[in-house]
Amino acid sequence: MKALIVLFITGILALFAGLGGNRRMINFVVIFGTIAALGLTLLDLAVGDTTGLNEQFSLMIHFDRNALAFSATTLATLLLLLGLSTWGLRGLHATLGDNYGLLLFSACGALIMYSFTNVVMLFLGIEILSIPLYVLAGSRRDDLASNEAALKYFLMGSFATGILLFGIALLYGGSGSFDVKEISMAISDGRHSAGMLHTGILLVMVGLGFKVSAAPFHFWAPDVYTGSPNLVTAFMATIVKTAGFAAFFFLFQKGFLGAIGFWSVPLAALAALTMTLANVTAIWQQNFKRMMAYSSISHAGYLLLGILAADSDGSGGAILLYTFTYSIATICAFAIYMVVSEPNNDGGFSAFNGLSKKEPVLAAVMAIAMLSLAGIPPTAGFFGKYFLFAEATEKYPWLVVLAVINSAISIYYYFKIIIAMYFSREENAYTVERSGIVRWVALAGVAVIALLTIFPGEIYKLIQ
Amino acid sequence: MSLLLVLIPLIASAVLLLTRPAGARAIALAATVANLGLTIFMLSGFNPSTPGYVHEFDVPWIAEAGIHFHLGLDGISMLMVILSNLLSPLIVYSSFGKSYENEARYYGLITMMVGALNGVFMAIDGLAFYVFYELALIPIYFICAIWGGENRIRITLKFFIYTFIGSLFMLVAMLYVYLKTPGEHTFNWMQLMQTPLTAEASWWVMLGFFLAFAVKMPVFPFHTWQPDTYVSAPTGGTMLLSGIMLKMGVYGAIRWMIPLADESLHWWQPIFIGLAVTGIVYASIIAVKQSDLKRLIAYSSIAHVGLIAAGLLAWNQTGVQGAMIQMLSHGINVVGLFLVVDIIEKRIGSRSLSEMGGIAKSAPVFATLFMIIMLGAVAVPLTNGFPGEFLLLNGVWNYSNWAGAIAGLTIIFGAVYMLRAYGLAMFGPANEASSRFAPLQSNELLVLGAIAVLVIVLGFFPQAVLSLTEPAVKQLIEQPHF
Repeated sequence: MKALIVLFITGILALFAGLGGNRRMINFVVIFGTIAALGLTLLDLAVGDTTGLNEQFSLMIHFDRNALAFSATTLATLLLLLGLSTWGLRGLHATLGDNYGLLLFSACGALIMYSFTNVVMLFLGIEILSIPLYVLAGSRRDDLASNEAALKYFLMGSFATGILLFGIALLYGGSGSFDVKEISMAISDGRHSAGMLHTGILLVMVGLGFKVSAAPFHFWAPDVYTGSPNLVTAFMATIVKTAGFAAFFFLFQKGFLGAIGFWSVPLAALAALTMTLANVTAIWQQNFKRMMAYSSISHAGYLLLGILAADSDGSGGAILLYTFTYSIATICAFAIYMVVSEPNNDGGFSAFNGLSKKEPVLAAVMAIAMLSLAGIPPTAGFFGKYFLFAEATEKYPWLVVLAVINSAISIYYYFKIIIAMYFSREENAYTVERSGIVRWVALAGVAVIALLTIFPGEIYKLIQ
Repeated sequence: MSLLLVLIPLIASAVLLLTRPAGARAIALAATVANLGLTIFMLSGFNPSTPGYVHEFDVPWIAEAGIHFHLGLDGISMLMVILSNLLSPLIVYSSFGKSYENEARYYGLITMMVGALNGVFMAIDGLAFYVFYELALIPIYFICAIWGGENRIRITLKFFIYTFIGSLFMLVAMLYVYLKTPGEHTFNWMQLMQTPLTAEASWWVMLGFFLAFAVKMPVFPFHTWQPDTYVSAPTGGTMLLSGIMLKMGVYGAIRWMIPLADESLHWWQPIFIGLAVTGIVYASIIAVKQSDLKRLIAYSSIAHVGLIAAGLLAWNQTGVQGAMIQMLSHGINVVGLFLVVDIIEKRIGSRSLSEMGGIAKSAPVFATLFMIIMLGAVAVPLTNGFPGEFLLLNGVWNYSNWAGAIAGLTIIFGAVYMLRAYGLAMFGPANEASSRFAPLQSNELLVLGAIAVLVIVLGFFPQAVLSLTEPAVKQLIEQPHF
């Protein structure tokens, strides 16, 4: 709760600091505010203080341990992303404060999505998360692709919102409450209208499926990811994905667990479809961001396994660890992609040719990020996958085998980058922009990956 | 102590990769020699008949999930550690004659590989085993793909994906057994082994493990990655792959596959042994027809490993003991043979048998050493290949006379293709290149000489190796597993 307030105030401060136009000042405010929010979250986690200011919000929001854990990983991801932003937004002057403000407001939406106890708050959280992103996606105003991305994202997003809202209305009709706990009780003691409730659950599933880009509701993602500015794409691929899955998981675990027999069947089909479709399509991509878009869809497929295992104790921890390892590796990948591709205006894989000779450190970071995304031990991504698969093995062995085959397919496209960097003998004359902050972000990301390799249990056990 | 065997090479690797120092080869050699010294020291105080493990190292890794970083050695692990630490200095030293682009990276990857291999052979925790098993794959992939020959990118990617798919199935199988452990789930080897499985579950678990190890060894028909990868890899990479890495598959089958899923062993045995024996004949016939010496040795390796697989899958004392000693012998021989290919290729610029000939006249020392190693590979009595092949054939024969008889063809075929290759390369009319065959460099002479000595010593004293592993093997086979 404290983190949410701090983050929100930081966003407003960023807007005001933007008026002054002092770049250093804005960067300082934003990064310091985020560090403060992260610090407060970690403090609450360490102390175990989960009561805090919860009462003041009529029990619509409750920052329990789970919400704090997700907030902490999200704020850590945000911090790395803001570090990148100081470099990525270097061309902006007048709108710098607005850009930062929107990023922070969007992150506020994510925190609300971790702490809702009422589906109305969930809905508000999703909207707070999404609306700034519609603007940010189109923030390169003179770029046609960016405009296209913004429009597509907005249209698809509002469509999904409509479906979600319809689902929430039916939930209310079926159970008589917006409160997650009440809905859960209505399901378990039979005081509900099954038809309306089940339709509501399905519609909510579809709505959230759009947000987390699960197939067959994923088709907006590749175009939006490719067209948006790199920073915004990185934000979508990490924080939006984490928030979407956390909300998905909390709602289905705390609210709909009684009806797991009903919703697990379509969700299992969704998971199977998502990972297979995404991985098979990703193989054919020639553009890095498009490949990362399909990669993010495929990770959504694996993460759905965690929601399917919502009735098992460790599933929340597994989703937390997975989203965190995935986010960090993705940020590292985007950091290097930005310095390689932006100065040369080339988004293809060949932009990475010979990077290991030009910039051995950045190439090594990229290689580790790709290995982690592919889930190859001993990188952190493996432990993320391991816990997810372990949760799902007992009930869905066939899905786990399918996920395993898909992980193997994913090697093919992740390794295209490694091959270009290390093995390709075709040179390019591209210059790689040297930037201290990007290098630091990349190294910090690798440090986190290394820590997660050695102590994966520390994150996993945050959620019981 | 066991931790050091993993840490020394990994630290050396980190130093080499991160700081890229000038004396890279010296650091790599020092690390591997230190490991060899440590191994000899551990061996000197080792009593094979003590039950359980020595030099145990156990810290919780992910305590909530029953995952420990748990290393330790019994007789079987000891032999594997000897294999990897005996061969790794030889492999490193034999690379000294070559100049590799970005040398520190090359030696850094080799030492990383050595650390991972030692981890594989000592892990007593299922997940630690899996992590090391995969960790070994990353450096060898880079070694083959950076310094490899023609088509290296396509070939090595195939190799990586192939082996990775295999080991993912192993992960699922291991996970399944883990979830069946009573009480708090654990990856401890002993507990996994004692967990009873239903016949059907055990059938699937066995299949999952087999896919991983069959690809790694490789067993027919999972071998298609192997000849191309061996041929296109740089010599050091080929030596690591064939000398040590494929033994991960054999060791995995002995330590993990059969003990964990022995409920379905009798069902699978005829199929697995059938595949292994088919592979022996298939690879031998192809080897006879090869004109590329490196490819010939690659196929001969499939044949030899097929016999090791058949012997261990027979799962009797003679068969498994044969597999143990033959793993060591095959590792020594195949490293020697690939070094021979490298020496010849460096001097005459070709691996084709048709462009060799008459080398014995200009390089008699080399020809003698090659002869000794070749005889070891053919399994002539009093060389190191003989006791292993004899025990393996005996073990397979005890399981099924038919399988034993067919597997026995390996000896005949082996003699045919090795003697043919030796004859074509060393005797006959010399051509322009082979008549100017430069004498061996000191590092080549030393490594080949050491290997030749090992071939003879192990041929005379196989009992030293056999008694090292005997109690552990006996315990593994006779132990009631549930």
